[in-house]
Amino acid sequence: MFVNLFQDPVNAAQGVAESVPQNPHAPAQTIDAWGQLPKLASTFGDVDGLFYFTYAVCIFFFVLIFAALLYSVIKWHRKTYDQPAASNVTHNTPLEVVWTVIPLIIVMVMFAWGFKGSLDMTNVPHGARQYKATAKQWNWTFSYPNDPVQSYGELWLEVGKPASFLLESTDVLHAFYMPSMRVKRDVVPGRYQKVWFQPIEKGEYHLFCAEYCGDDHSKMYAKVHVVDAVEYAKRPWDQWDDNNPAKGGESRYKALCSSCHSLDGTPLTGPSWKGLFVKDASGAIVGGQRDVFVGGVKETITVDDAYIIESIKNPEAKKAAGHEKNAMTAFPNLPDREIHGIIEFMKTLAGK
Amino acid sequence: MTTNVPAVDTHVAEPTSGRKNFLNCSSGFMSWAGTLDHKRIGLMYLVGVSIAFLCGGLFALLVRLHLWSPEGALFANADYNQIFTLHGAFMVFLFVIPAIPGSLGNMVLPLMLGAKDVALPRLNLLSFYLWCSGAVMATLAIILGGFDTGWTFYAPYSIYTDKAVVSIGLGIFLLGFSSIFTGLNFIVTVHKLRAPGLTWFRMPLFVWALYATSILQVLATPVLGITVLLVAFERLYNIGIFDPRLGGDPVLFEHFFWFYSHPAVYIMVLPAFGIVSELVSVHSRKPLFGYKLIAFSSLAIAIISFLVWGHHMFTSGQSTYAMFAFSFLTFFVAIPTAIKEFSWVATIWKGSIALNSPMLYTLAFLIIFAIGGLTGVILGALNVDIHLHDTYFVVAHFHYVMMGSIALAFFAGLHHWWPKMFGVMYNETLAKIACGIIFIGFNTTFLPQFIMGSRGMPRRYATYVPEYAPYHHASTIGAVILGLGIALMVYYLVASLFSGKRAMQNQWGGVTLDWHTPTPPPLENFDHSPSVTTEVYDYSVLDLETTRTPAS
Repeated sequence: MFVNLFQDPVNAAQGVAESVPQNPHAPAQTIDAWGQLPKLASTFGDVDGLFYFTYAVCIFFFVLIFAALLYSVIKWHRKTYDQPAASNVTHNTPLEVVWTVIPLIIVMVMFAWGFKGSLDMTNVPHGARQYKATAKQWNWTFSYPNDPVQSYGELWLEVGKPASFLLESTDVLHAFYMPSMRVKRDVVPGRYQKVWFQPIEKGEYHLFCAEYCGDDHSKMYAKVHVVDAVEYAKRPWDQWDDNNPAKGGESRYKALCSSCHSLDGTPLTGPSWKGLFVKDASGAIVGGQRDVFVGGVKETITVDDAYIIESIKNPEAKKAAGHEKNAMTAFPNLPDREIHGIIEFMKTLAGK
Repeated sequence: MTTNVPAVDTHVAEPTSGRKNFLNCSSGFMSWAGTLDHKRIGLMYLVGVSIAFLCGGLFALLVRLHLWSPEGALFANADYNQIFTLHGAFMVFLFVIPAIPGSLGNMVLPLMLGAKDVALPRLNLLSFYLWCSGAVMATLAIILGGFDTGWTFYAPYSIYTDKAVVSIGLGIFLLGFSSIFTGLNFIVTVHKLRAPGLTWFRMPLFVWALYATSILQVLATPVLGITVLLVAFERLYNIGIFDPRLGGDPVLFEHFFWFYSHPAVYIMVLPAFGIVSELVSVHSRKPLFGYKLIAFSSLAIAIISFLVWGHHMFTSGQSTYAMFAFSFLTFFVAIPTAIKEFSWVATIWKGSIALNSPMLYTLAFLIIFAIGGLTGVILGALNVDIHLHDTYFVVAHFHYVMMGSIALAFFAGLHHWWPKMFGVMYNETLAKIACGIIFIGFNTTFLPQFIMGSRGMPRRYATYVPEYAPYHHASTIGAVILGLGIALMVYYLVASLFSGKRAMQNQWGGVTLDWHTPTPPPLENFDHSPSVTTEVYDYSVLDLETTRTPAS
């Protein structure tokens, strides 16, 4: 497992810089022809049809109301202080029946259409692939059908194949939201939820958390790749390259750590990783100095691999000064090679 | 309309001829703090809710300025979450719910009924002090570390967070009782204190609206009280109602919360409907079109609103049957609302339309509420709502209703009854300019939010994907314009108290009982007990001389 422990981290750093994009967000969504919705990438086109139908009805009634008000104000505004109203009509039964019945018919059409569409979203087709999405503050973990390897903050799906997700939360409410697929489902701790869709367009898409879940709710993001069968068969989520652990470490950083730990010294919820490892006078990479609280007592330690491993598995043991009041999510089950990859990635930051 | 200004007496008010009104009949701190007069209590409410509104508005500006940049321009994420929560909690609990019933309702309801006061004046004062204690608790919660749960307090986050949730929860509990007592008081007042001849169908529609609101306040608010108490107990004693770690159910919290908070939407908006019904009639000098249908639609809305709470939870995993029923009823509630809007437009049609500032605010309401109401129909459709739920589309929709409609109706009512309350007029030119600025600022703020919402921008985000930046920029610019408009409004209203021209006895030519008493009203409202012999909104009995006679 640790075959690459002595690999030259400088080369590893160059490899990372070339291959991993700095911004983890998917490219901006393509917008549909009417400009209101992201371009549809699933089979739930009923949403778009009903949305634009309702939109058109709204615009019609809005223009009607606006025009009637504008016409009235221009034609019948009061010119002398004693001007009486041009009419004292108090009701008109046929008119009132018309403006009750017509909207009633229209909204019942919308209701039936919308209900039918929601049934399609509820009924998972046979043969849909079973994925699992685990939400916790503030990241997503994905499991693939019959595959032991999970992915963090990124998900790969095959175009044309219905995908069904078992949704699980380990802490508070979250919501699985993919605008391009038109699906959203709350992820509720203590119960399993389900959501499914059939991607029909290759590309990269946003997966947002849509239910407020605390400090870094807005950073709880995953990039979804919809790829063709050939690409999917390569199991792109199993990207771990034992020859370049720092690269894998960086992807884990972005998926699991970046919402609370900066690389450039900016204090976020947790301490920045800048200065964890530094270069000494000879250019060798050595552990930096950190002020930490151990059982409430402040002391200065020299960072080493053991400290990092302990902080990942049991973050409460040594709390970085300045962040001692913020609790970090523990990752006791993160595989050793991934922890090692993260440490290698930290070392690439030395001297930056 | 300059032609509407009477030829006589446009001078600054001279010292009044010794007639005592409710403002000058007594003085000193205790004459206000211990008053049982509904008008004085209404004024104290007005001061209170205005301060809450300005605080909430300041938080809103901070939110908008922060969102100028995709990475967040001003705060750390955790601080941003506190600020948007404060904005929501202040606006909803301290302003929108109590604003119209507490201030204008208190002020006008007994006048419109021809009563000396509300039925239970001491309870009325208690309501106000409960509101004050709720406001104190909310402020205390800020000092004790703030709260970051959103105004919805969804469990289990509200149970796990280390912020001052218990303090704000108790604040909301107290505010709830303030609201219940006001509702109870108004129900009794409407039943028992109507003047002779004032039958139910001669009551002004503002009274009908407050009556329907009161029913909702009395029946729905206790559920909110119970819910926030349960959250507090959950935090203090780990009883396991909502916390899944203890076998509780977070979705149960959502049911409890929306069982109150959906009717609460109508607790907020029905009084606004009432003001608008009143104002379109007076300023068009025309009987209200479809009076009975509007009155009944208020009651219909009040009843149906108890049965639609599940439409806030279409993505929560409730059963297909529940989705069916909640979506169906949600569309159903659109009908009485549409009837109201059409009836208002029909009232203005062929009216004698005075383009003064209360009417301009009312017209702005009608346009904005049309958008707010119609976009609600889009959200009622089940599958469309699944895409739009918890995005900025929803944020824009409810701000069109909460801010654009309710706050504008409140402003309209404030401008309408201001001369009645104080006997002075504000600067009409500035008022019209401010109304225009507010209208433009409001739409610039919230129209772009519909677009970014339907494109997928989730709400309550401290940072966002850069593709949404242009819409956030437009929205922030709009918010600044809106803020300037409101600052101008506050300025000329306050200035009118010191240097306003004397108002007319019946400034706008109203025919309901509130305009049949001297301006400003005496302590017990009427010099002689009034009786009603004509139908409501019958402008043939309007004595136009009263619109040209200065207030005494």
